[in-house]
Amino acid sequence: MFTLPFDLLLIFTVASPILGWVSPKQYRAKICGVFAAAALVVVGVALFGLYQDVVANAAVYLPSNALNFATLRVDALSIFMTAIFLGLGFAATIYSIAYVENSGRTPFYFTLILALISGMVGIVFAGDLLALYVFWELMSISSYALVAFFKEEGTPIEAGFKFLIMSAAGSATALFGISLIYGLTGTLNFEGLVAALSGATPNAWIYLAAVFVFVGFGVKTAVFPLHTWLPDAYSAASAPISAILSGIVIGPGVYALAKVFFTAFLPIQTAWTLAFAVLAVVTMLIGNITALRQTDLKRMLAYSSIGQVGYMLIGFAAASQLGLTGTFLQFFNHALMKGCAFLCAGAIIYRLGSRDISGMQGVGRKMPLTAFAFAISVAALVGLPPLCGFPGELTLFSSAVQADLTWLGVALLLNSVISAGFYLRIVYVLVQPVSSPAVEKIKESPLLMLIPILALMVLIILFGVWPDPLVNFAGDAANALISLGGNP
Amino acid sequence: MLDLAYYLIFSFALYIVGIYCLATKRNLIRLLLGVEMLVNAANINFITFAAYAAPGFVDSLGHSFAAISIGLAGALSAVALAVVVLLYRRYGTLDSDELKQLRG
Repeated sequence: MFTLPFDLLLIFTVASPILGWVSPKQYRAKICGVFAAAALVVVGVALFGLYQDVVANAAVYLPSNALNFATLRVDALSIFMTAIFLGLGFAATIYSIAYVENSGRTPFYFTLILALISGMVGIVFAGDLLALYVFWELMSISSYALVAFFKEEGTPIEAGFKFLIMSAAGSATALFGISLIYGLTGTLNFEGLVAALSGATPNAWIYLAAVFVFVGFGVKTAVFPLHTWLPDAYSAASAPISAILSGIVIGPGVYALAKVFFTAFLPIQTAWTLAFAVLAVVTMLIGNITALRQTDLKRMLAYSSIGQVGYMLIGFAAASQLGLTGTFLQFFNHALMKGCAFLCAGAIIYRLGSRDISGMQGVGRKMPLTAFAFAISVAALVGLPPLCGFPGELTLFSSAVQADLTWLGVALLLNSVISAGFYLRIVYVLVQPVSSPAVEKIKESPLLMLIPILALMVLIILFGVWPDPLVNFAGDAANALISLGGNP
Repeated sequence: MLDLAYYLIFSFALYIVGIYCLATKRNLIRLLLGVEMLVNAANINFITFAAYAAPGFVDSLGHSFAAISIGLAGALSAVALAVVVLLYRRYGTLDSDELKQLRG
């Protein structure tokens, strides 16, 4: 119905609570977790088949014979985004098996993860704004429930509510913007929007619609000044959920912004490139400077995600194929790096029971593998060369220089230096001699937590040493978007 | 038929009332009502634009979008009210100013 991989994903999502219901209570978490992980692998295999179709035809439409009424449109960009959604989703699911306890509610945890991933896959598969909005809500509603899932503590519920109100207001604002686009053009299909608006003289309504859409999708992307929900939600959620939220849930936001601004809002491109350039600098500065002041490990990582969103916006400001390649590359790498960092932080907090960085002296000596993976991931986040953060930031830097926005590139470099200040501080604390009895007792993370952490770490190193396939893939994804907009 | 502008003024006004409600109210339920107002402002836009798409016709795309978005708003309210109930059970209040565990 919706292409094989997406159909499978939806079927598995619906099947997982039923499986949890019939399985014996003491094994529920394991059975449902293994089922969810296996489902993601199966979907990944099916995705590879779809990828071959996309390579052969440039884009797959559904329904297949109606070009202008397509509700789904799968191109290289969709496949690129889906690959990382499934990959990090898989890592977080394996990790969750060790993290969650067996209870009556446990199966729903995995159902919500699968629903969240289905929503994100639906967003990148959408061929019009109606489908995009429907899957956007599927993703959003599952993420609210996931943030508030561990309701025994107060903070997750409170953070979940704050996240819910801000994010729902954002979705509604995006809906308002979509309604204005609909009023302007009479269509919601991306190709129809390009045809209806290309060459149109910009009027106030297009600018107004652009502002509404930007604010709406910008809330989920955590662009300044719409980022205030992010540190609470990321630090209150459980570790695997933080990894998914930070690593990939900003992706649909970046994707939706890119998709709408590089199709419907091309006529006013000169206006929004400058706006994105300014927002990129402000967002990365706010994120990185606030992260410097944090004492809570997860809050620090959350603020640094805002800084990373600022880097991704550089590609919008450059508005070129190279810039978009950088944005998607940075997104892919950020998912690996920040996913790994959040999972490591979660493992440390799981063993130590505290999130205060100053109390973590010597953790690296007790949990050497976790701490080593953490050090690798933060070094990659700074952008040190043999790791995967480097090619992404280099591409963004060169795209900024190419677009005559050298100041933006310089801002990126300065921010990398600022971010080194807090990332490397954590590593410094971790390798100190053990000083407190709480640290003396802890031991290495459980195996199921260690496997995804080490797998992500290997990928970080692999894509740093050998980035060519990934850079080419991101380039294809950017080309797919640029050619959809009809802008060479 | 009234001029399109009247409907647009109404939907923009509703949107602004919703934002005002989100910005000033402290009751959790009222915050939710604010979000619902924003969604409804957008729905009214869809219905209006569908009716004015071509003289004498309505565009079914706008109507289907409005119908679907009403359904999605219902799903959102269900989750949001569940969270409000959990908050009420834990803190015994619906005042957002008394939820002070999170700052900064």
